[in-house]
Amino acid sequence: ITHYKQYPPNVSKIYSYFECRRKKGSQFSEVVFFGLQYLLKKYLTGPVITEQKIQEAKLFYQMHFKQAVFDEEGWRKLLEKHDGRLPIRIKAVPEGRIIPRGNVLFTVENTDPNFYWLTNYVETMLLQMWYPITVATISREFKKILAKHLKATSGSLEGLDLKLHDFGYRGVSSQESAALGGAAHLVNFCSTDTVAGLLMAQRYYGCPMAGFSIPAAEHSTIISWGRSREKEAFERVLDQFSSGPVSVVSDSYDIFNACKHIWGDKLKERVMERSQDSCLVIRPDSGDPAETLIEVIKILEECFGCSLNSMGFKVLPSYLRIIQGDGIDLSSVDEILQKLSDEDWSAENVFFGCGSALLQKLNRDTLSCAFKCSYVESNGKGMDVCKQPVTDPSKGSKRGRLSLRRNSDGFLETVERGAGKPEEDLLVTVFENGSLVQDYSLEEIRKNARLRDEELNPTLHNQEQELLHNRIINGIH
Amino acid sequence: MAAQDFNFLLATDSYKITHYKQYPPNVSKIYSYFECRRKKGSQFSEVVFFGLQYLLKKYLTGPVITEQKIQEAKLFYQMHFKQAVFDEEGWRKLLEKHDGRLPIRIKAVPEGRIIPRGNVLFTVENTDPNFYWLTNYVETMLLQMWYPITVATISREFKKILAKHLKATSGSLEGLDLKLHDFGYRGVSSQESAALGGAAHLVNFCSTDTVAGLLMAQRYYGCPMAGFSIPAAEHSTIISWGRSREKEAFERVLDQFSSGPVSVVSDSYDIFNACKHIWGDKLKERVMERSQDSCLVIRPDSGDPAETLIEVIKILEECFGCSLNSMGFKVLPSYLRIIQGDGIDLSSVDE
Repeated sequence: ITHYKQYPPNVSKIYSYFECRRKKGSQFSEVVFFGLQYLLKKYLTGPVITEQKIQEAKLFYQMHFKQAVFDEEGWRKLLEKHDGRLPIRIKAVPEGRIIPRGNVLFTVENTDPNFYWLTNYVETMLLQMWYPITVATISREFKKILAKHLKATSGSLEGLDLKLHDFGYRGVSSQESAALGGAAHLVNFCSTDTVAGLLMAQRYYGCPMAGFSIPAAEHSTIISWGRSREKEAFERVLDQFSSGPVSVVSDSYDIFNACKHIWGDKLKERVMERSQDSCLVIRPDSGDPAETLIEVIKILEECFGCSLNSMGFKVLPSYLRIIQGDGIDLSSVDEILQKLSDEDWSAENVFFGCGSALLQKLNRDTLSCAFKCSYVESNGKGMDVCKQPVTDPSKGSKRGRLSLRRNSDGFLETVERGAGKPEEDLLVTVFENGSLVQDYSLEEIRKNARLRDEELNPTLHNQEQELLHNRIINGIH
Repeated sequence: MAAQDFNFLLATDSYKITHYKQYPPNVSKIYSYFECRRKKGSQFSEVVFFGLQYLLKKYLTGPVITEQKIQEAKLFYQMHFKQAVFDEEGWRKLLEKHDGRLPIRIKAVPEGRIIPRGNVLFTVENTDPNFYWLTNYVETMLLQMWYPITVATISREFKKILAKHLKATSGSLEGLDLKLHDFGYRGVSSQESAALGGAAHLVNFCSTDTVAGLLMAQRYYGCPMAGFSIPAAEHSTIISWGRSREKEAFERVLDQFSSGPVSVVSDSYDIFNACKHIWGDKLKERVMERSQDSCLVIRPDSGDPAETLIEVIKILEECFGCSLNSMGFKVLPSYLRIIQGDGIDLSSVDE
């Protein structure tokens, strides 16, 4: 609120940008750009300033600062001159694009010299882009791991986009975060219980139904039958949902007993009656994920048998699958699938559910997201600016006007100091003077974010990938 | 009441739509509870209960079910499950019998109370036997209580640490509730989370830049102004003057805000140079002109927090001197203070 008084006199332009800074040792060398359209549509487009809001803010800030610092005049001028629309321009990477760390992802500048202070006024709101970007990125990393194992143990990527189910709705910090995080996951997968994310995808990204789910039990629906009637509780699910897959959490008392004596014995025929399209998906939900899973699949093998797929890996009968939805994160999912594969089990047998590791256990430092001023105009002259704290070189920022291009080696790079050629700039104007200029659909975004060939065949390009990762992280191209 | 486009029927985990068919026949009551389970080795043995009133007022109170919402949910779930599993009949019965209001009872610990881990914090049960399935339908939404509870708890842990050191080194707890300023607005995952988390911090302190939290406290907890802030610089307001004009940038803040405290981030290029040569030399007189009520608060923002802070305070001691308080500890002149806003967490603040 107080910054309009602190910029140099005669400043006419403040130009800032957003990046996911490189960080030595980070496991993430590239990011998925996603989520800006939501912010633009919901908060920035159209006449966002009214006289009533100016009055409310004036009173509010008087109480909050115990002095009159609010720029009432400045905002009224904006209201009058621009009908309450924001005279800023935002240029951004198209949503869904995969961009290496350390590159400009979007820029913000004022279009009317009177409102230079507006550029960084929106920093707080736009820096929250760290969240959908980070979720979409982590979700895609999951996809790479799942693709690797699925390809290696089954020869195909069929069903990849159903392999990781979003269980995170309850574990995020608000309804709005659930919607953003849930939608970010849907950039890579179409399996979710986070209904809020589906609504976000519908309302802001033009996708009527971005993800699917199946009837499933929870502990309350099992334990409410009483300890001695777990079998009746299980059977109820099979009866009530005779077509389509169903998932039944089976660890309320003893997962191994449930698998061996209930599913594998008392209800064995009922299970075998299910077809491939209405398979039973057994859900363990406690214990060491890998160990429990291996023990469960062994019990199921004993009770139901298995067959070998074209790659020579074991697959349970098509009416039977497992979903592991507890303790799943990037490293455990890799570990679990590796252990399964070591024991000759195909990745086709297992689905995964993920909650907090996908939507909550991340922060702005996960991808080092920052918003910084890089260029200023005053007295008709432009000046490239940056911060460069002697106490932390990694916090240094970029200089001047920025553009993003693909260089002659095919790598994406940021050109600083206004030296970029407009025709090479991959940044696109998405917002200008209160209007949305681009409208990306989830379909396009999914296409932009799909796994590339080299990511699907890591065994062929492992070394190259690692080299590239290191070069990105260390700032060499 | 929630915004018009909020549909309570769509504010739950998908699978819960299918649970009404899975409970035992003739169930007439489902009673559930919320706790912060005990965990071996956890550093937090007690929690601050906070945030339920927001959820109740915003999402659960009044007629939350309408025919239009039932229709919207029905279509939605048909596409989502690729089959008709949604309990249209059940919800319509609720709409008719209860005018769209939720027949559940929630009992809870009073907000703000400090409760040891492993205790029930609130319970939920249906009040009409027809709607047993409603109790756990609200689990997804109510489990998000973890967030304001956890922020309020952590904020209070900060307060304990700050109180300990303030008492030990000054003999008093004056100003304790201004000692930890909320800088977190940009680093949370949404506007709504900023409001919740920001409000939770205000249970213990009244110092914040997270305006959303102040609005939450105003609108849902009856407090017109729950926290305060001061004029302060950011890097863009300093670096926009150019590298050679950091002194002019600093001076601008002093000029523009001559009364009341001001905070100036001073590490854009070299925090130690800024303290020694600009604040401590070129602008020294301007600094000394400030009174206790309009002190300068210098802000380092990079480097190892403890080391940088010690070095900064030593430089300021050299330039401005200090005095001893009643406990024999050194205090900078009353017109000069420091705010460390980078790398702060429970262990670093103690350290």
